[in-house]
Amino acid sequence: MNGRTKGFNLLELIKKVVFTDFVKGLSITLGYNVSRSITQRYPDEEKWIPYRRWRGLHYLNRDAEGRELCVACELCSKACPTQCITVVPMEDDSGRGIADRVAKVWKVDLVRCLYCGYCEDACPTRAVRLGREYETACTDLASTVRRREELLVPQALAENIEGGVLVKSRLVRTPEGIKVEPDLRRHKKRSL
Amino acid sequence: MVTVKINGKEITVEDGTLILNAARDAGFEVPTFCYQADLIGIGSCRMCLVEIEGQKKLQPSCVTPVLHGMSINTESPTVVSARAGVLEFLLANHALDCPVCDKGGECELQDMVYRYGPHKGRHAEPKFKFHEKDYVLSPVIIKNSNRCVQCVKCVRVCREVVGANVLTSLNRGDHQEETSFLRSFLDCDQDGNCIEVCPVGCFMRLPYRYKTRPWDLKGADTVCPYCATGCRMVIEHRDGVVIRARAQLGVGLNSETLCARGRFGFDFINNPNRLTTPLVRKRGALEPASWEEAMGLIKKNFSVGGGKVGGIASPRLVNEELYLFQKLFRTVFNSPNIDSSSRWDPLAVESFVSAASMHEGGVSIFDCMASDTLLIIGSHLSDENPVTDYIVRRISANRRMNVIIASPRAMKLDSSATQLLRHLPGAEDSVLEAIILNLNYDKLPDETLKPVKDARLEALLSTAGALDKEIKAIARKLGASSTVAVIAGTDFLRAPQSIPALGLLKDLLRSRGKKVTVLPALDRCNQRGAWEMGVHPGFGPGYSRVDKKGLGCDGILAAAEQGELDALYIAGSDVASMYPDGEFAAKALSAVKFLVVQDIFLTETAKLAHVVLPGASFAEKEGIFTNQEGRAQIIRKLLPPPGKAKRDFDIIRAVGESFDPSFGPKNPVLVLDEIRKEAPMYGDVSLVFNNKKNIEDKLDNRAALVKGAQSAALKVSRIEPRADLGGAEQFPFRLVTGNHLFHSGMLSRMSSSMTGLLNAAVIEISEGDADALGLRNGDKVSVRGAACEAQMTLRTRKGSGKGMAFVAENFEDAPVARFFRRGKGAPRVAITKI
Repeated sequence: MNGRTKGFNLLELIKKVVFTDFVKGLSITLGYNVSRSITQRYPDEEKWIPYRRWRGLHYLNRDAEGRELCVACELCSKACPTQCITVVPMEDDSGRGIADRVAKVWKVDLVRCLYCGYCEDACPTRAVRLGREYETACTDLASTVRRREELLVPQALAENIEGGVLVKSRLVRTPEGIKVEPDLRRHKKRSL
Repeated sequence: MVTVKINGKEITVEDGTLILNAARDAGFEVPTFCYQADLIGIGSCRMCLVEIEGQKKLQPSCVTPVLHGMSINTESPTVVSARAGVLEFLLANHALDCPVCDKGGECELQDMVYRYGPHKGRHAEPKFKFHEKDYVLSPVIIKNSNRCVQCVKCVRVCREVVGANVLTSLNRGDHQEETSFLRSFLDCDQDGNCIEVCPVGCFMRLPYRYKTRPWDLKGADTVCPYCATGCRMVIEHRDGVVIRARAQLGVGLNSETLCARGRFGFDFINNPNRLTTPLVRKRGALEPASWEEAMGLIKKNFSVGGGKVGGIASPRLVNEELYLFQKLFRTVFNSPNIDSSSRWDPLAVESFVSAASMHEGGVSIFDCMASDTLLIIGSHLSDENPVTDYIVRRISANRRMNVIIASPRAMKLDSSATQLLRHLPGAEDSVLEAIILNLNYDKLPDETLKPVKDARLEALLSTAGALDKEIKAIARKLGASSTVAVIAGTDFLRAPQSIPALGLLKDLLRSRGKKVTVLPALDRCNQRGAWEMGVHPGFGPGYSRVDKKGLGCDGILAAAEQGELDALYIAGSDVASMYPDGEFAAKALSAVKFLVVQDIFLTETAKLAHVVLPGASFAEKEGIFTNQEGRAQIIRKLLPPPGKAKRDFDIIRAVGESFDPSFGPKNPVLVLDEIRKEAPMYGDVSLVFNNKKNIEDKLDNRAALVKGAQSAALKVSRIEPRADLGGAEQFPFRLVTGNHLFHSGMLSRMSSSMTGLLNAAVIEISEGDADALGLRNGDKVSVRGAACEAQMTLRTRKGSGKGMAFVAENFEDAPVARFFRRGKGAPRVAITKI
């Protein structure tokens, strides 16, 4: 926008006559009209399966023989910046855990948790992991505290599934609540 | 004095100082595992290696004394790499199970490796393991040898301080295991000092096992609530449950040591049977009630002025509460009938206080241990005051001094004695008088000496059951020393006829220019405080004179039995179980027109009450305990009282306020100010509580000792011995009572750890007597007295006197109090096998 604007500019005039800018803008709009939709039809038809690095709901691991890996050393609760993890150890040499020290209480307050993953970094036995479960919304504050018993149940997504895809899913309404059931066989790469 | 150069810094220290201490004085840190100020150095851990210029090899600084002109390097590259090498070797076979180990988080090995370690191990070989699973040594101690760093502190503390000699080092090199033979603690004191000194998680508390991490614990500095040694400790809780008591190195007179009661006996605090609400007797049964209702009843039934009322306060309350208690009775109820002990005669107490010179102010046990001769008499120190026993053993082993022990029963401390005397139970007077006869007493032209002058040595020796040469040896030792310390125990109060002889010996030795200190060995944590606060019918706060002398516990019960007592207020004392003649006590307490009991458990006494008020335990209040030395020490609050229970201070104040709204002071701090005014002994006692870790051996906090009372209204009364119950033919054993090592009063009976160590009553006789009866250690026996019969387990003890049976006064199933008869001497019993 310098000296040239003062004089007559033929090119500008032609652009104005044939609505170049308008067509340019419209082509973007119309382009989206014909391109594939990026809207995730979540939760009715689709669900995002996160990458393995995702930090979602915690779970507690077992070893190959089914013994709990957690030795209740409380390092996770010590490392936690929000003090959302409570661990109370106890002695149990019946083979429940890999050591005779096991957790009597292992609970995490999901409302306080900021999913930083320090707990899994601190864990000396790789017992606590942040999983790929992210549907933790609820209407009841009590269910935001997850206990050892619930966290020991393996999460729906196995560790070996790569993730980073959108899969077909189904919204199921049950008396216990609603959930989104993914169908892992039919997935597509997320287009951005 | 020698001058040495440490890391280029010149420092002048005393001859014989260890390089380690010199370096620490100069401000350089030298890491150690095996060094501890009060244990003999062995230089086993090699963490403290330093470089001495001119010497090729590194030297262990914890056993090498400085020499003049030495130039020492503690930070040179050789030293740093040697430390890292030592740690690498220590970790080579270390279990490295920190996430599971109870010590994780406060482990010295963790700290050292973090600070000085190589952070990388090169050992790929499989680790050597002593065992797979931790093994239980006793109901309170569990062991994992795989974590051991072979510092041998546990063995040394067991041998040098505790004197139990249970632990030893088996095998050699990295297979060296510090354990007991057969891996069982057969005859251990269960005091857990091995746990406390262990730098790693090798010895562990079983009650604490896998309950928490050290960083979850919230602690409060406090004083042990059992005997009157006054050991400082820290109790720690998690989520409202007290799970650990620990001593701290260099803090308090006990440093790192505690006894079994102190270390494991705290769990009565969380006993589910604690009283949590006031109880009021309705239609014959105690039923929960509100505080208003209970207080209303007290106001209605206690008469101010007119009627006869009495009060008995426990010597386990803090000074502030005891002061307020006596103030309540002396000013509000206008009654001098108060006492702080259900077992002892008030006249005996007054005589004892005077004879033991308690009114002359505090006596530090370290001063006693600095004297030429220490005489321990009238106390089974090893069981009644275990930490006092440790101090005596530890210090007497390191200096030339006479330790004379006169006791009817054999005890652990006997091994430290230079002169031992076994006398007959209750014959302390004959022993002391025989000693006095052997001392040159002519220079004391005193009326009080008359009875001793008239006595004949042979007669005294036969009543004492002692040999002439033993007495002569003791007298010679006392006569030859310029400073003498006497530890006089509670047996003087049990047999009060001995008290004048104690006073006499003290005066006689003093008149000959000797410095004599008497340390009373008491068995309730604040017994001395209770007396100094004036909870006694014969003297007021600071042993001051009172206008009107009142009735003691015995007199109160006698009045109650006659139906003359209108109201009785018992705070924390279990009179029904502890008064010698249980039957009489129960009868008398039932005859009280209105009985208020304030306690933390529903004791035998509380069951007879009309109103029961729930009080607070030592963990739930702040205040001051005065230990047997006269050291005033603060306890701090850890938890709120359970349920509707209140601090005893608040209860006593509320009772006072319901009669006199101006009764006060209103809070413990103001009470302390008043105590300082009323009892000048406490005037300038410093309560500044130094909880700083002190690695040198400076445990004697003298500023906490109480001062002497200016005007003590005390006198030693000659108390005639009570007539024996008789029946020597039928009942061959004289009953001796006291506290068991694991129990103290009835309080420790509420601790599950202590009842786990010993639950049922035991009777202890000498080995010779047992052989004569054909009995063996561990037999079940029936113990029969003139008034009572009980079943117990027999324990035999080598070296105890003959014709004497010891039963601890702590067991409900063997109520020793019921063997006694009021006004009579010690009972006799017969033992038969079941």
